[in-house]
Amino acid sequence: MTEDTKKSAFQFHGNWVDFAKIALVNLLLTIITLGFYRFWATTREREYLWSQTQFIDERFEWVGTGKELFIGFIIIAFLFLIPFSLLYFFATIINPLAAGIVYIIGLLFVFYFVGLAKYRMLRYRLSRTYWHGIRGGSDDKGFRFGLTYMIKTTLGFLPLGLANPWATCELWNERWEKLSFGPNDFQSHASYNSVFGTYLLSYIFFPFTWVYQARLRRTLIDGLRLEKLEFAFTASTFDWIGLIIVDVLIVLGTLGIGLIFIPYRHWQFYINHLEAYGEVNLDALTQSQTAKEKHGEGLLDAFDVGAI
Amino acid sequence: MANDIVDPFFSVSHFDGKTAVRRKVEIQTIGQNFFLLENERRHGPYTFDYMHFVSKTKDNISYGYEDIDGWRLTLSGPIPEGLKPLLPATRTYGSWIDKLGLGKASVAFIAVSAAVLVVGMTAPQWLAPIIPQSVENSLGDTLVGDFGGRFCNTPDGKAALAKLTNSLDGNPDDLQVEVVNIDMLNAVALPGGKIFLFEGLIQQAESVDEVAGVLGHEIGHVRERHVMQGLLRQLGLSLVLGGLNENVGGVLNSALSNSYGRDAEREADSHSIRVMSEANISPIGTKGFFEKLADMTNEDNDISEMTSYMSSHPLSTERAAAFQKSFDANKDYKPALSSAEWGAIKSMCKNDPDVKSGFGFDLFDE
Ligand SMILES: [Zn+2]
Repeated sequence: MTEDTKKSAFQFHGNWVDFAKIALVNLLLTIITLGFYRFWATTREREYLWSQTQFIDERFEWVGTGKELFIGFIIIAFLFLIPFSLLYFFATIINPLAAGIVYIIGLLFVFYFVGLAKYRMLRYRLSRTYWHGIRGGSDDKGFRFGLTYMIKTTLGFLPLGLANPWATCELWNERWEKLSFGPNDFQSHASYNSVFGTYLLSYIFFPFTWVYQARLRRTLIDGLRLEKLEFAFTASTFDWIGLIIVDVLIVLGTLGIGLIFIPYRHWQFYINHLEAYGEVNLDALTQSQTAKEKHGEGLLDAFDVGAI
Repeated sequence: MANDIVDPFFSVSHFDGKTAVRRKVEIQTIGQNFFLLENERRHGPYTFDYMHFVSKTKDNISYGYEDIDGWRLTLSGPIPEGLKPLLPATRTYGSWIDKLGLGKASVAFIAVSAAVLVVGMTAPQWLAPIIPQSVENSLGDTLVGDFGGRFCNTPDGKAALAKLTNSLDGNPDDLQVEVVNIDMLNAVALPGGKIFLFEGLIQQAESVDEVAGVLGHEIGHVRERHVMQGLLRQLGLSLVLGGLNENVGGVLNSALSNSYGRDAEREADSHSIRVMSEANISPIGTKGFFEKLADMTNEDNDISEMTSYMSSHPLSTERAAAFQKSFDANKDYKPALSSAEWGAIKSMCKNDPDVKSGFGFDLFDE
């Protein structure tokens, strides 16, 4: 890595040997607990990654716990997965039509929960992230966002998928505008205008999908503001391709063990390409008054929507 | 009292959780309580008991305080000896593991996981007998109903079938044995004591003894409650695998195919051998049936239902040998039914004007 002449507001200080010590023990503990340790494993990894990430003069602090993630998972398992599986099983016994109906209702539920979970994941992470003793959060529980998500995602796909960039930007903006850090609300003005051309090209020539994906991420983050701070994301298409190729080589070269480094590599990638401009007034940055939910991103975990 | 000899590399910074301003402070301890001294200001009093561990890095340890959101005390450098016993314990792997130590905790996890796996895998065996017969019966009725009108029925045929069943089981009222008008060399046991002998099996049988052996085997599945075990295993699998099986008919199909596992098949075979011996029916016919199965799979046959029967049942030659071994040359075997009765079963489907035929039944449609 080369030092830029002008230092970025975000600095990553981690090293992969330290991360490996955490990740390998996590892997072993997860295996011998039949997967149950993974909630605590995730927490340990986040504690490390957050603590190695500096913003201006101070590192972040992750205060989420494995127990919270575990409770989130249990809630989803008992409220949704297990009852639905039982219902589906007995429906298949009665007749295929009943099973089909249960299946479709289940899919609609999943659709709703994916939207809800995408919002809840952000809210949970912000409410567990401290910087200078101040955290983020939101009082919006996101139940309405789950509905908006269903509607806008569907609208985005209807005209041959053409409105997809519009739906993605709208939903991103909506999610962030519900969130705050300290006393300040996030503002998000990502516009599909700047990515729509590339999106059309990806219909004609498939590799433009990658260009679109890279642009989309830049557009989304470039549109974010927090009080006097503006954010930017600098990863180009080639940066992304490089990241993915090395990911694949690492995973193949280590016969899969390298998978445990992927969270580290991607976090590092995001932080190295994340920029912030503007100023922070420490006196005016007071504690968030938002409610803290008691459980973690169990929804997202259960539906495996994948993290950024 | 107040900080005795403090290492010059030791420093304390503090966030009060109200604003983001960082404060350089010194800790003034008074017994279990302390103040934080910042230039002219004094924060506190606080109590060590209300502090909790938040995070640590190579150089720093951070603590939080009871109900004050964002309150942080971050210690850098070597912590003074006098302060150490007052501070709360740190956390590494999670509080349970930290208490036990990584090694001991790992051993405990392995033991618990092994126990969970054993209980989980044997659950169908010990759960099945707990489920009341009435539940199993109504499940069976919902499942199959009248099997789309494919049960063959003539008074003579039914009487002969009942006689055969009576000779093989002391409690035939629990059982519902039917000949099903589907040309398939197979027989199945379903929930609620339902046993279906398919027409293909009846027509290809060289003697009634052969059918008796297969019926004895299926009765074995019922009496050992393999059917419910199979259903429970399937249910458990669909739960573990998330239950969202794409194939709507698939769950039932595999539950109903006689894939009860090799141990269950052996149990059903020994049940069959035992009841046949008690009924004075020769096992040689059944032995012939399995030899026939073995021959047919050796040739490259195009009878697909054959292979499906084979794949779930122990090797046919092995099974044939088991039936052969149970043959007692000194015993006075009698045919399972008279030839008139056997004829009535064989012609039951032909002589039933109402019976529907063939596949096309919902349950077996994929
Ligand atoms: Zn069997």
